This record gives sequence, structure tokens and C-alpha cells, in this order.
Amino acid sequence: MTQISQIIILGLSLGGVFALMSSGMTLIFGVMRIVNLAHAAFIVMAAYIAYWAFKLLGMDPILSIVITIPVMYLFGLLVYRVLFAKLIDNPRFVELTVLITFGLSLVIEGLLSYFFTGIYRSTTPRYATDTLNFGPFYFPEGQFYATVVSIILLVGLWALLRYTRLGYAIRATTQNRTAAKTVGVNVHQISMITFGLGTALAGASGSLVSFLFTFFPAKHMEWVTIILALIVLGGMGSLIGSLVGSFLLSALAAYVSFNFGPTWSPITFYLALFLILLFRPQGLFGKKMELQ
Amino acid sequence: MVILETEDIVAGYGSGPDILKGISLQVEAGKTYCIIGPNGAGKSTYLKVISGLLPSRKGRITFKGADLTGWRTDQILRKGICLVPSDRSLFPDMTVRENLRMGGYVLSDQKQIDQRIAEVCEIFPILGERHAQQAKTLSGGQQQQLAIGRALVLRPELIMLDEPSLGLAPKISKQIFDSIEILKRAGMTVIIVEQNARMGLEAADWGVVLDLGKNSFIAEAQKVLQDERIQELYLGKKH
Repeated sequence: MTQISQIIILGLSLGGVFALMSSGMTLIFGVMRIVNLAHAAFIVMAAYIAYWAFKLLGMDPILSIVITIPVMYLFGLLVYRVLFAKLIDNPRFVELTVLITFGLSLVIEGLLSYFFTGIYRSTTPRYATDTLNFGPFYFPEGQFYATVVSIILLVGLWALLRYTRLGYAIRATTQNRTAAKTVGVNVHQISMITFGLGTALAGASGSLVSFLFTFFPAKHMEWVTIILALIVLGGMGSLIGSLVGSFLLSALAAYVSFNFGPTWSPITFYLALFLILLFRPQGLFGKKMELQ
Repeated sequence: MVILETEDIVAGYGSGPDILKGISLQVEAGKTYCIIGPNGAGKSTYLKVISGLLPSRKGRITFKGADLTGWRTDQILRKGICLVPSDRSLFPDMTVRENLRMGGYVLSDQKQIDQRIAEVCEIFPILGERHAQQAKTLSGGQQQQLAIGRALVLRPELIMLDEPSLGLAPKISKQIFDSIEILKRAGMTVIIVEQNARMGLEAADWGVVLDLGKNSFIAEAQKVLQDERIQELYLGKKH
């Protein structure tokens, strides 16, 4: 019993980070119907920022979110301006975004490989390898901090969406773009800001994963699949869904990893993605996409 | 007094053909206008152009003496023109109250918005009773009241209703038209686009017939109702 609880604790302590990693992608899809396959590449970019801040400035990787969040926010605005602003009224917008963002992820991967080579990297603060004990259970200290920071950021995001004027406008745009325009929301501006916010969340995720996992330029391929599994399980575009999906799947992955060996852990995500798409494509909290 | 004037409005979607091919109309303050016409005549498109949701390709829109041509929707809303779109266009997962708050999105004073919401709930008491419910859980008639209520938060001088009775049972449509009566009594200028031409015209002072993107006919609503040709084309002749 203790053993199973311990496994689930391990899974859940990664769940918060997965939730943060997927929140940006689901937010962007919810508001703009952009399937951002470059989201994980943004996370890798931010992980490199955290890495160099750690190596060159000795900056704590958790603290480096004060750099990665604003830098990636601005990067998101730029990407939106250059790639999506003119396409938004295109009737095949969703399909186009899949191709464009896939291309973008490869460009980012290529540039990162060119500048930083394919060497495996990670930041190594003290807490990355320590553990915390709570009674009979233990937490890897790094995972614990990362999940706490992730939850704080997600609560912040929730409060922003729930209580601010910007949050009202983002939710309104997500739920009904036409109605949002009718009441005077500048949906183009809101889309751009939301893309920036989603990218900023990728930025924060990059800082946190920099000490949880080793990474290299092509790592985004694995992460984007995991993120897709999480948000498809929760329901594309549903923030609460991506949160629940993250905790469920990461606990399941930890369980599978313990019983069948760590090689099977990533397969849990891929298999889950496959099964969800087969049996419940709208996910747990998503709405059935209307055929147009 | 003329409050709204559109001159020779030409408009269409994307790179598609012109839907409106030169609509000119003068709207008197405090009067109610009902626009009728066959499907595809451009009735909804015309309202979209006035509210700034669709740019006009040619022509001029003046409201209270100001040239609104090329203005953004939020500017037009602040100036006092509100549209209630035909599909009711609510925010389904937001509560009734949040929907009403979105009606005041272009206002910055939260107190003012709260006060206006209270006023709206006096006109539509059901919205006050159901303020914490999600909009999608309301019935069709209640949703239409919410859509109108949301527009009223701005206390517009001109309110435009696109097919307010669409998809509603006759009894509910009548309730909606009763509430339009309240807007008229409050001195608002009202433009209604209505499939149910008879119902729309009976509520209106003036009737406007649009056909193929042009206004082909304007007269007092009673006269339009009695016009034999109109009866045949749009009203389904009563014998």
C-alpha cells in the first residue's frame, strides 16, 4: 500500500509540471484554434536560456523564470505577428497552423543544434538530486519545488482568466469569437496577447524542466507527444482538462514505469493518446468539434 | 431628427462579390424600423456594417452628426450603437452575470457597469434570478433576453436586433417583442431585421424592404403591411 502510494506521489509530483507544460498549448488552442506543435520546442528554447543563465551567471533555474517568462512572452508576440496575424481569417486556418508550427519546431531545433550542438544538457542545482522526506514517503526535492512553482503559476493563470478584464476577454474569445467582436473585444489583439501568454508558460516550463530532465535540441519531439496526450485526454482547449489529464497520466506513467520498467513510461503517453483519439476524441472535458 | 444616415453602402465578405449594392437610409431618432426582404438580400450584412463588424467598401455612415465610416466596433459601441446578433451569440460557459459584464466590456468604470446590470435586471427580472447560471443552461427565450440585456448594459441610443424571434416558439417571440416595446418606450431608436415580417412590421413605425442588396421600398410600417405586392411576397397573403 505504502509502495503504491509512493509511486502515485512520484507521478503526481511530476503532474504539476506536465500541467504547466501543457497549459500554454491548450490555452492557445482554446482561444485561437492554433495547434501549436512548436510549443515543446519553445520549452526547449527556454530550457537553454535557463541553462546558460545557470552556467554563465550562476542563476538558480527556478529563479530564471523571471527571464524566461518575459523573453518567451515577447518571442510569442513576434511569432504571432509574423506567422499568424495575416492567416487568422483563412478558412483552413487550423490545418495551416499544424503545418506552420511543425515547420517552426524544426527550424528552432535546427538553430539550437547549430549553436549549442546536440549534447545532452541539464542544470544541476543542489536540489535536483536531493530528496525530501514526509513520514514514510519521499519526494525528489527538485520535482517537489517544480510542482509547487507550477501550481502557483497555474493558480495565477486561473485568477487572471477568472477576475481580470483581460481574462474575461480571453474567455469570451475562446467561447464565441463573433460574440466577442460584437461586444467590442479586439479579438486580434487578444489573440496576440494569448499567444504571448501561452509562450510565456512554455518559458516558465523550460526553466523548471531544465533541472528535471536532460534535454537536447530534438527533445521537443518526445515532449510534444506527451503534451498532446495530456491535452487530448483533458479535451483540447480545456485548461481544467489539461490539468486533470496531466495528473492522471503522469501517475499512470509512474505506475507503469515501476511495474514494467522505465522504458514503458513514455509509451504510456503514446498509447493513451492513441486510445483516447480512438474512443473519446473530445477528451474528458472537451466539446465535440462541430463538423463544418 | 435624423440620428443615423447611411449613404450608398456597398459591402461584401472577403474577396467575394458585393452583398450590399448601395443602401441609403435615414433613420429618425426614437423610431422603430423593421427591415424585411428575402434571404440573401443583405439584411444582416447591413447591420454588421453599421456596427463595424464588417468594413464597407463604399459609402458613408453618419450617426449623431459624426462620420463613423471605418470606425472599429468598440468605438461604435461607445458612441451608442449596439447589435444583438441573430444567433444570440452568447458566451455559453460564462454565467448570466458574466455575459452581462461582457456587455460593458468597452466601459472602464466597474461601478457603472454593476449599476447598469442592475437596471437591466429590472427590465428582465429572470436575468437577475438566474445570474449565477451558465448562459447555455437558459431556455431560448431567456437567452434572447440575455442577448438584448447584454446590449442594454451600454444604454445604447440605437439598438439593432437581428432576427430576434429566430427559433423561438410563437408565445416566446411575443414576449421578446413585448420587451422591444419597453425599449421603444425608453426612447431608443430600434432597427429590427425579421423573418417573421408581419410580427416585425406590427412592432415598427417604418418598414424597409431590401432586395438584392438595395433598399427597394420604405414606407410607414402600416402601409407596408397593407401593400398588396408586399403581402404576396413576404407576408403570406391573409384571406
